[in-house]
Amino acid sequence: MKPSYKRISPILGELVWNAEPTDELLSIQFAYLTYVQTNFSSTILEVRQGFTRLSLLWKNLASQQEFVQLVDTLHLSPEPLPQKVWQVPVCYHPEYGQDLEDFVKSKNLSVAEVIQLHTQGLYRIHFFGFLPGFFYLNGLSPKLHLPRKSVPSLAVPAGSVAIGGKQTGIYPMQSPGGWHSIGRSPLPFFDPKQTAPVWAKPGEQIQFVSITASQFENWKDADTKNFLQ
Amino acid sequence: MNTILGIAQLLRCPPGTSLQDEGRALGSNYGIPRSGAMDLHSYHWANHLLKNPSQAVALEMAQPGLKIKFEAPCRIALAGAAAAITVNQVSISNPSLIALDAGDLLEIGPFHTGARLYLCIEGGFQVEKYLGSGSDFVSITGTATRATGECLHYLPTQSKSALQAKPKWATDWFEPEAIHAYPGPDWALLSADQQRILLDQPVHLSKLSNRMGIQLEELVANELDDLPTNPVFPGTVQLTPGGKIIILMRDAGVTGGYPRILQLSEDAQSRLAQKKVGDSIRFQLLSSH
Repeated sequence: MKPSYKRISPILGELVWNAEPTDELLSIQFAYLTYVQTNFSSTILEVRQGFTRLSLLWKNLASQQEFVQLVDTLHLSPEPLPQKVWQVPVCYHPEYGQDLEDFVKSKNLSVAEVIQLHTQGLYRIHFFGFLPGFFYLNGLSPKLHLPRKSVPSLAVPAGSVAIGGKQTGIYPMQSPGGWHSIGRSPLPFFDPKQTAPVWAKPGEQIQFVSITASQFENWKDADTKNFLQ
Repeated sequence: MNTILGIAQLLRCPPGTSLQDEGRALGSNYGIPRSGAMDLHSYHWANHLLKNPSQAVALEMAQPGLKIKFEAPCRIALAGAAAAITVNQVSISNPSLIALDAGDLLEIGPFHTGARLYLCIEGGFQVEKYLGSGSDFVSITGTATRATGECLHYLPTQSKSALQAKPKWATDWFEPEAIHAYPGPDWALLSADQQRILLDQPVHLSKLSNRMGIQLEELVANELDDLPTNPVFPGTVQLTPGGKIIILMRDAGVTGGYPRILQLSEDAQSRLAQKKVGDSIRFQLLSSH
């Protein structure tokens, strides 16, 4: 699980793992992330995380060179992942998941089976990308994998829970999108007015919980508070 | 100290006009794009003329037609695209640095060269900052662009004093076709033929160009699969499964799953921001070592 370091520009480079994204890899990525943020805080401008890369943007060429000379000698222990599991309520109903009916047909499953498969797993948050507050989650059952739509939707509503390829995710805000919407969550997923605009952190886990259309329609701020504690 | 803010009225605000600074580097942890001036070179130059602090908020224009009335004295600097500029309908021959009186009307006419013009003001436009930046981005500031009828706020200059500096307006730095780029993380996945096509011929900016990205007219036949989603930056060039070449710009998302074939130098990003739809560019490879 030792990464190589690839320089891209004088101030940009990335730690490279040629491996499948797993909890084990994420633990190692966290170890490098912590190491860089602790030991290079005055010369690193930005760290961006992906499934198999950690990109490092440096203040200048010299600061990148200093890291290059040292990176191969590092022996970092994996960092334990957080225990926190967030429950995310989802209404799996055609009214809230605009592609649910097409999805069950394509997969030759019933709605109940899709709900069962989608709510039984725990999903690990790896990082945020695509949209502000959009979780990249690992852990979707292969029985629910489905290639993205050939024609993307112009407006996927905020809170939509969707499947694209081997991944599942939640649209924090209305956006064009190519994933199949199978339901919608009444929780807020992004608020720039909060100090931390997203309530979850990379490494924590998500579990989807099925709610009825009537629960969705009568959702209150107090219900959100119960879920987000 | 309570300062009474000066008001600038946008009597006419063309589409694509937004407030920008260097952007929000702290946002990527939450999936928030960098944003900030597309042409940082011009943004920095105009702020330098005014001795502004870093992160001073400026107005970025992508089209001519701005009409702005300043209700209190101020000093402004303009940089980027060369345009016909008037104050109270009198043409200004060297508009780099201008001292304005209360009630002065500034108008931006047709762009002669270049695609983006920056209007910086002494002290910067005063807006609420999110994650250290006042850059407009719809899911952060509630708006992607400014509109006719809006007012902007600034710190008025105490007295109108003559400006000593006579800086020269330069556009020659962005006129050459060359766009310098480093091999991207996935450059080596391309065949020698694909690499040659990208480097040997001029390519052209398509209409599908905005603050998120600039798509080129040309296609590069490509059978590469999508890759695991990994970080991208402003200046990352992606190759889609359909063979489209997309150069990510300031409002692009922070990660992507398409092969990342090139990474533009910082200067090249500013130069590209001054290219118009239909303009030709030519990628020139740099070594990262």
